[in-house]
Amino acid sequence: MTEARYRSGPLVWCAILAATCLLLFLFQKILWLVVPFLFGLIIYYLLFPLQQRLVLGGMSRDASAALISSVAFTLAAGGLALMFPWITTHLVSWQGSATRYIDGGLLFIAETLAWIERSSSLAAKAHLGEQLTQQIVSLGDKLAGTYLTDAALTAAAWLPSLLLAPFLAFFFLRDGWRFKKFLSRAVPNAFFERTLYLLDQVDHTARLYFQGLIKLTVLDTLCLAVGLWLIGVSAPLMLGLVTAVLAWVPYVGSILGCLLVVLVAATDYPGDPAIAYSAIGLFIWVRLLDDFFFMPLTIGRSLKLHPLLTVVMIFVGGAVAGVAGLMLVLPLLGVVMVLGETIGEIITDPRLRARHAFARRLRQRMVTRDLRL
Amino acid sequence: MLNIFDKSKLSKRLDELKKMSLFGELTPRELKIVDGFMHERNYLKGEVIFDEGEEGQAIYVILGGQVLICHQGQAERPIATLDSGNFFGELALLDDAPRAAQARAAEDCTLVVLFRGDFLSLMVSHALIASKIALQLARHLGARLRTMVRSDPGPL
Repeated sequence: MTEARYRSGPLVWCAILAATCLLLFLFQKILWLVVPFLFGLIIYYLLFPLQQRLVLGGMSRDASAALISSVAFTLAAGGLALMFPWITTHLVSWQGSATRYIDGGLLFIAETLAWIERSSSLAAKAHLGEQLTQQIVSLGDKLAGTYLTDAALTAAAWLPSLLLAPFLAFFFLRDGWRFKKFLSRAVPNAFFERTLYLLDQVDHTARLYFQGLIKLTVLDTLCLAVGLWLIGVSAPLMLGLVTAVLAWVPYVGSILGCLLVVLVAATDYPGDPAIAYSAIGLFIWVRLLDDFFFMPLTIGRSLKLHPLLTVVMIFVGGAVAGVAGLMLVLPLLGVVMVLGETIGEIITDPRLRARHAFARRLRQRMVTRDLRL
Repeated sequence: MLNIFDKSKLSKRLDELKKMSLFGELTPRELKIVDGFMHERNYLKGEVIFDEGEEGQAIYVILGGQVLICHQGQAERPIATLDSGNFFGELALLDDAPRAAQARAAEDCTLVVLFRGDFLSLMVSHALIASKIALQLARHLGARLRTMVRSDPGPL
């Protein structure tokens, strides 16, 4: 009675895509909860192996969760407390640096366009450099005026909710396995084995994904930091870390990271565009390393999505929920896909449905045994 | 207070698990770790637990009641009837081959289920526990093989 492996049909896929878009739309409305939840999940998957070691050493799950969480969060809070005076001292100079880097970037663009004009008579006739520089400056002013204040206010509004992340991580560590059992009790016997297996696959994939993401970030940071240090760009470690974290947002994050690196390189060496080009080259090299070497080693093909669908969904995510949508769309689609395929697989299996119906009749007969006339 | 995670039955279940040959070698602490991976299910008399040919993902241990192992559609001619303390579907822990027979509840029964995925996780995170369970499983399969050889001493 071995059956061919289930493959979702167009209806199931339409439902999966619609559910992903709907969830993205809803998540955008409760971003203050979704973001800490995601961070909580990342912290949970990071601390989970340590908790397992303590459990193996003889500690109970509850005690190990409390110990691991308190040590990790005390370290994090201590680090932040130590850094706080330094951050407040440098805040004003950072503001000045931001303006300096933007000016440096604009100068780099102007120099590059001037070089293009010198090389191409067509570009020179069209006054390409002058026109593009004006448009970039006006676009920058418009963006800064329209969106930057709003974005800063929004970020400041839900930033305190990030404090939820450690609490969520603690409860994931302490009660995650109990919650899994609690959920499994809701699954009828007929569907239990297959559902639990597929949900276990979701958990396994998510664990691999988040742990891989952290490893990938560390590898990216190190490679970029070493490369930028060799080129001679300032603050290579910080720049490498920020760029690696930005790469969490597919495609758009990489472009922003590249822009950031170019801005810093162009500002550090205003008269030497070769440094900025070297930084771009380094960035592309690290991206290639990521795609062909690091990613298969860390994240792998955990989501198993078609490349076309991936790109289309990133655009859909951006359109439905902005930057948050860009970041959330792929993991969300991965989870909805597995859930949709699970439900599709179960409701299209006539034998499982028949077994469930039979079990319900048995239960009905049992509870009405003494109620017959 | 809302108590969705019922802990009251835990120690009783650990006592019952300790008596079973599959977990006989485990210390109480190790048993508690294994119990964290197990799911308790209740089946009514006649209910199908799994079908012949279905992809096996889990081993079932009988906490209470009786389970009938038979070929599909031949419940009246069971291959074996298993009581409390026995386990079945154990080959699913080793590979994902299709189930060799159907399992049905011969009477109302309570089972605990351990998934292969969780067993493989145990092998990574708690290798000692997994090896103790695997050893008991190997002994069980060895005993069954010897019984088969004795009952049919043809060429192997």
